Amino acid sequence: MTKRHAEYLVMVFFVCLIGVVFQQIATSMTQQGIASGTPYDNAAAYPRAVAVFMGGLLIFGIVAGWRQTRSGHSLSPAEMMRPAGLLGLFAVYLFALGILGYHLSTPPMLVALLWLGGYRRPVPALIYGLGISFGAAFLFEVFLKIVLPGGFWRLNIPW
Amino acid sequence: MLVESLSLGFALFFTPLTLGLTLAGLLFGLLVGALPGLGPLMGIILMLPVAIGQQPIAAMGFLIAIFVGGSCGGSISAILLRIPGTPLAAATLFDGYPMAQKGRAGDAIGIAIASSALGGLFGGVVLILFAPLLAEFASGFAPPEYTVLAVTGLTAIVVISGGSLIKGLLAGCFGLLLATIGTDEFSTGYRFTFGSHHMLNGFHIVAVVVGLFAISEMAFQIMGRGLTSKPDIPMVRASFSSIALTLGHWVNLLRSSAIGAFFGSLPGAGGVISSFTAYAAAKAAARPEEKYGEGAEGGIVATESANNATVGGTLVPSLALGIPGDAASAVLIGALLILGFFPGPTLFEQQPEIAGGVFLVYLTSNVFLLFAGILTTPVFVYVLRLRKSHLIPIVLLLCAIGTFALQASIFDLWVMLAFGLIGILFRAADYPLAPVVIGTILGPLLENNYRRSLLISQDGHWIFLERPVSAVLIAINILLISGAIWFALRQRNRDGHSPLASNM
Repeated sequence: MTKRHAEYLVMVFFVCLIGVVFQQIATSMTQQGIASGTPYDNAAAYPRAVAVFMGGLLIFGIVAGWRQTRSGHSLSPAEMMRPAGLLGLFAVYLFALGILGYHLSTPPMLVALLWLGGYRRPVPALIYGLGISFGAAFLFEVFLKIVLPGGFWRLNIPW
Repeated sequence: MLVESLSLGFALFFTPLTLGLTLAGLLFGLLVGALPGLGPLMGIILMLPVAIGQQPIAAMGFLIAIFVGGSCGGSISAILLRIPGTPLAAATLFDGYPMAQKGRAGDAIGIAIASSALGGLFGGVVLILFAPLLAEFASGFAPPEYTVLAVTGLTAIVVISGGSLIKGLLAGCFGLLLATIGTDEFSTGYRFTFGSHHMLNGFHIVAVVVGLFAISEMAFQIMGRGLTSKPDIPMVRASFSSIALTLGHWVNLLRSSAIGAFFGSLPGAGGVISSFTAYAAAKAAARPEEKYGEGAEGGIVATESANNATVGGTLVPSLALGIPGDAASAVLIGALLILGFFPGPTLFEQQPEIAGGVFLVYLTSNVFLLFAGILTTPVFVYVLRLRKSHLIPIVLLLCAIGTFALQASIFDLWVMLAFGLIGILFRAADYPLAPVVIGTILGPLLENNYRRSLLISQDGHWIFLERPVSAVLIAINILLISGAIWFALRQRNRDGHSPLASNM
C-alpha cells in the first residue's frame, strides 16, 4: 500500500462520513423534528454546515493536489502483516474479554504480541505474559478499585 | 484574585495524595519521555483513566507532571542513543550526543534536567501572571466571541503546526463532527446515535484519543525492525553540580525560556518550534569558542529550557480560555471537563481553588524534576535497555484496561480499536491527528456558542462582525489562512508541488 492508496481510503472515509451526516439529517433527525426551526430547535444545521465545509475542502483538495500526487514509499504485504496482526489479535482479545474474562484472555494475548514482535523464547514469554497480566490486574483492582471483566464464569481474584 | 486563587489552591494541593501523585507522574513522564516513540502525550493518554478516579488537583497534578517529565525525558535518549525520545528533544542531540561522546554524558543529562526544570519554572511564572489576566479579559466575552475564538484555536493549530492546510482542516472538521454525536444539549434530540444507548453521550474522549494516538503508534512501532534488540548503554549518573553549570548560562536560560513560553502560548506552535528557535538564537548569540554542535553546554540549556517553558505557556490559553495549544493540553482540558470543571474565565471566577491548585502542581512538578530527575537518572538509563517487543504489549494492555476502567464498558474498547484503525489510516496518508482531538474538545464550545449567538442576534450572522473582539478574531483567522495559502503558493512555485493540498 502506498501513501496514495491511504489518501484514497481517507477520502472515501470522509465521503462516507459526509453521506452519513446527510442521511441522518434526512431520516432520524427529521423524524425527531430537530432538523429545522430556530437555532435552538435545529440540531441539524451545525453538523450540516461542517459536512458542507468538509465537502468543499475535499473537492478543493482533489482539484488542487491531484497533479502533484506522488506515490512515495510503498509498504509491502510483509511489512503490513505485523500491524494487521496486532489489530487482529486485539480484536480477538476484545471478543475473548467478554466471554473468558480478563484473567484467561490477557496472558495469551500478551504472549501472542511478544511472538508477533519477534520474541521466540516460550518460557520467558509465558512468565512475562502471566507477570504483566497479574501485575496490571493487581494495580487496577487493588489500588484503583476497578473490577476487570470476569467473563461468563465471573473469574475475578479476591485480592 | 491571584493571591486568593493560590491560597485556596494550597489547601487542595498540599496533601500527601497530590504530592505523591505529582512525584509519580513526574517519574512516569520521564520514563515515557525517555523511551523513543512514547512521549508526554502518550503518557498523559495512558494514565488519563487512572487520574480521572482521583481528587481533581491530585489528578491534574499527576497529568501535568507527566507532561513536564515527558517533555524533559526525551533528552536522555537523545544524549545517550542519538535518538530523541520525543520530537521535543530533537535539537538537544546537536550538542547532547557530542558531549556524551566526550565522556560527559552525566553532565549533559544533568544540564538537560536542570535546564528543563528552570525553564519550566519560568513558564510557571508566565502561567501564574498571565492566565488570570487573560481570563479577566475574557470574562467580558459573549457567545459570538467564544464562537470565533474556538474557530481561531482550531485554525491556528492547523496553520501554525505546518503540513497540509486542507488535511489539517479536514481532520479538525472530523473532530467537530465527532463532538456532535449523542444527545443535543438544546433540543435534547439524538444525533448520529443509530438507536444505540451506548452512543447517547457520544464516544468517550479517552477511547477516541487512546485509539487515535496510542493504538496507531503501536501499530507503526511494531512495523519497525530490531524490536528484540537490546541497546548497549553504559550506566550514567547525573550530579547536582550540573545545576551550577546550567546557571552559568543564565542569559541563555532566560532568553530560551522566554522563547519557549511565548511559543507555548500560541496554539499550534509547541515545543519543537520553540526548542529549534531557542537553539538558533543561542547559537547566534554565542561566542565562536563555545563551538555549538560539538558538545556546547549552551546548546542543551537552550533547547531543554525552551521546550519545558513551552508547557507553562501552553497552559495559559488552555486554562484561561479553554483553547488548547496542542494535543497534550487538549487532553488535559478533556481531563478537567471529565472531572467536572470548565476551563475559561468561569474557572477563575467560580473555582479559583482549582486554578490555584493547578498553578501549584505545575510549579511543584518542576521543582521535583530538578531533584528527583537528577537522582533517578540511572533508572531511566536502565529503562532504555528495554526491548521494544516487550514494551508494546504493556502499552496495549494499559490502553485496554485504562479505557475499560472509564465506564466498565467493552463498547469503549471497540471504539478505541476503531479509532486505532482511523489513526493508522490518517498517519499513513499524512493527516495530522492533533486537530481531530482539538476539534472534539472545541466542538461543544463552538456549536453551543454559535447557536446562542444566532439566538441573541438581530441580524443573523452579522453579529460576529458587529462585536469588536470577534471582528478582530475573524480578521486574525483571515490573516492566518491567507498567510498559509500565500506560503503554500510560494513554496509551490519554488518546489513545484503544493503543500496546501500536499499530495492529495
